Amino acid sequence: MAEGELLIRNGVVYDPINGVNGEKKDISIRDGKVVEEVMNPKVIDAEGRVVMPGGVDIHSHIAGAKVNVGRLFRPEDGRKGREAKTKVCRAQSGYSVPNTFATGYRYAKMGYTFVMEAAMPPLAARHTHEEMVDIPILDNAAMPLIDNNWMTMEYVKSGDTDLLAAYIAWMIKATKGYGVKVVNPGGTEAWAWGKNCDINDAVPYFDVTPAEIIKGLAEATEKFEMPHSIHVHGNMLGHPGNFETTLATYDLVKGIKPYRDRPAMHATHTQFHSYGGTRWGDFESKAGAIADYVNKNEHLSIDIGSIILGDTTTMTADGPMEYSLYQITGRKWTNHDVELETGSGITPFLYSGKSPVNTVQWAIGQELALLIKDPWKLALTTDHPNAGPFIGYPIIISMLMSKKRREESAEDMHSVIYDRAELPSIDREYDLNEIAIITRGMAAKTLGLHEHGKGHLGVGADGDVAIYDISPEERDAGKIQKAFLNTKYTIKGGEVVVKDGEVVATPAGRTIFVTPECDDKLTEEMMVKLKDKFDHYYSVTFNNYPVQDAYLPNPYEIKAPWRS
Amino acid sequence: MQTIKLKLKEEITSGNAKIPIEADSLTPDKIFGKSEAEIKAVKVWWGNREENTGDLFDMSVEGEAASVEEVKIVMEGDLSRVKHIGDGMKAGEIEANGDVDMHCGAMMQGGRVTVKGNADCWAGREMHGGELIIEGDAGDNLCAMYRGEMTGMTGGKVTVGGNAGECVGQYMAGGEILIKGNTNILTGLNMKGGKITIEGDAIMPGADMTGGEITVKGKVLDMIPSFKSDGTESIEGVEYKKYLGDLAMTEKKAKGVLYVR
Repeated sequence: MAEGELLIRNGVVYDPINGVNGEKKDISIRDGKVVEEVMNPKVIDAEGRVVMPGGVDIHSHIAGAKVNVGRLFRPEDGRKGREAKTKVCRAQSGYSVPNTFATGYRYAKMGYTFVMEAAMPPLAARHTHEEMVDIPILDNAAMPLIDNNWMTMEYVKSGDTDLLAAYIAWMIKATKGYGVKVVNPGGTEAWAWGKNCDINDAVPYFDVTPAEIIKGLAEATEKFEMPHSIHVHGNMLGHPGNFETTLATYDLVKGIKPYRDRPAMHATHTQFHSYGGTRWGDFESKAGAIADYVNKNEHLSIDIGSIILGDTTTMTADGPMEYSLYQITGRKWTNHDVELETGSGITPFLYSGKSPVNTVQWAIGQELALLIKDPWKLALTTDHPNAGPFIGYPIIISMLMSKKRREESAEDMHSVIYDRAELPSIDREYDLNEIAIITRGMAAKTLGLHEHGKGHLGVGADGDVAIYDISPEERDAGKIQKAFLNTKYTIKGGEVVVKDGEVVATPAGRTIFVTPECDDKLTEEMMVKLKDKFDHYYSVTFNNYPVQDAYLPNPYEIKAPWRS
Repeated sequence: MQTIKLKLKEEITSGNAKIPIEADSLTPDKIFGKSEAEIKAVKVWWGNREENTGDLFDMSVEGEAASVEEVKIVMEGDLSRVKHIGDGMKAGEIEANGDVDMHCGAMMQGGRVTVKGNADCWAGREMHGGELIIEGDAGDNLCAMYRGEMTGMTGGKVTVGGNAGECVGQYMAGGEILIKGNTNILTGLNMKGGKITIEGDAIMPGADMTGGEITVKGKVLDMIPSFKSDGTESIEGVEYKKYLGDLAMTEKKAKGVLYVR
């Protein structure tokens, strides 16, 4: 946070959380926070340019064990995007799996100031935090994977929701995490037996279904005043015809009453879950069915997970899915079992506009954004790097804002786009206010971070501001894309970190974590079972497991009391 | 015709550390049209520092060039720590009088590089066109892909007067390689296209190949067992056994051809 005063004048401000839609407005920042007015500020003249709060990414894989393995086993990716160190920046490398420095600089250049690391294997929490500390500029947080965990499945089986709540509270505290992440519930555990699970299949040995796991975790999460709901990567990701599983997953939490005004489930990278057809040959878009459900229901939010054409590195805790993908491509593949917690797989993938399947996938991400009427229900993501690297966000923004651009792009794609996807027939174009919603406002609200200064520019908010080098009237898709790739200014905590598309300062970001507060008696009871697991199965001891405070040099704690 | 002589100053490589130089900015196409003073100011990496060419090399220029094809760079002195000679070169000629370090002629697109000595690893890496002549021995990964990539050399011609190291032409997809001596293990590993001729002996050539052609005129040591015999063929009057493979990549993909005496 920078001390002193800053005034941004003559900007056209889009701050959807505060209902500011393209108003000429000054923004005053003192000691890193937005204030009513300032006395002797440094002045930045925005000269009529578009001004938004710092971007908030709800779902991205930027740090931790699998990201690092991705870097290690893809030297050919590290070869791309190399930039020598400068007086300000450290050496950069990588495209789909950039190094930590490049991750911070490139997000900041796009005007982002907060990124959620969406999947932290609890056993690799220390590694994840070490990398997050190494990412300059950005504030971040990470969600531990709790769904394929033996403790979780045993409590779901026995129906002890309170004890499950005590367990997830312990786990979130032990990993300095943010919320509950679910990835192919039951399926990743089944993968240890060489199998996978659909939503109502029994998980081998544990005899619970993915549906029961999701419901159990949603109920347990809502025992606390958690800022974010469960964050769900459902079953059967990437399989033709999976949209029915997806809709059934959404239905699971319909009756659950969330803490405060937010959904009970965030369903992530929905593009990968909106597939029709029975096999790759008759593969088609079911974005319409998914959007229809989201339009009619209020209990869930999504992020789109839109495709960026080109080469990328897929990585997920969904081990069986990565194996299926590897069988299609025959490229290199690696797999990892994380003891009794989760697993993961990584394989490179090329999204090609010449492939009918990739073409339909490409259309689906954008269809979701265009067919869901209320932009507050969705966030812009590429599930970085799974559907493409985050550096492609400006491409998606320009597509959503320009039907002409979509039409031109569709001409370069496989012709199936005209009969197995809806995209060419959609006329809607996003305006800048809607773009501000899906790139900051919605994510901040869904993560509960708007109450902690993120995603808006109201008094008391963090002094995180992006000034884009376009006027609000700009309609040229190419210029819009360029502007969203490199800001005129990015300001983080009142300090100018990017100027004219160049990184000029690299302050350290903060790690935001949640502390769920659980009843001592429940915790004690849960602890008996947990210690038994450590004694019998874990490769580390109970006392060596939790992440020490030293791993978070710039911590920011959010307390989540038990709901009475 | 223009000849630019670049003689590496003795003190540059006389230290114990022998800090390497990366000479990819000194190709005829990048230098053509520059005055002597301008060439001396071309930046060259020396370890982690960017230096002026004139500070590292003694330079003399003879003649004039009407086109880049008429530019010849002659490099002299102890070149054993000079990397990336002719890297990315498009046209013209480079002659290196002595042993050169890694990545000589890598990513080359045209023109000719002649090494009058040995070349270290990665010579001709991912070469697309042009000609590379190594009069001495070549190190490992000659004309291969860079680590992790799936395509090596795609075009051009490489001749090695002596022996070559391991994994010659790995993931090669096009172009021609002629080795007058022997090669170490796994020549043509993962090869997809192009042609490799070895006048001497080769160890385990053609592993995992799915296309292209390897001819071994000497002995094959440790022949890969997953090749199937496909009769004999006469090449330049000599009878060769013809094999197809590598069947380890499945029968459908085993389109590589291996000629063995």
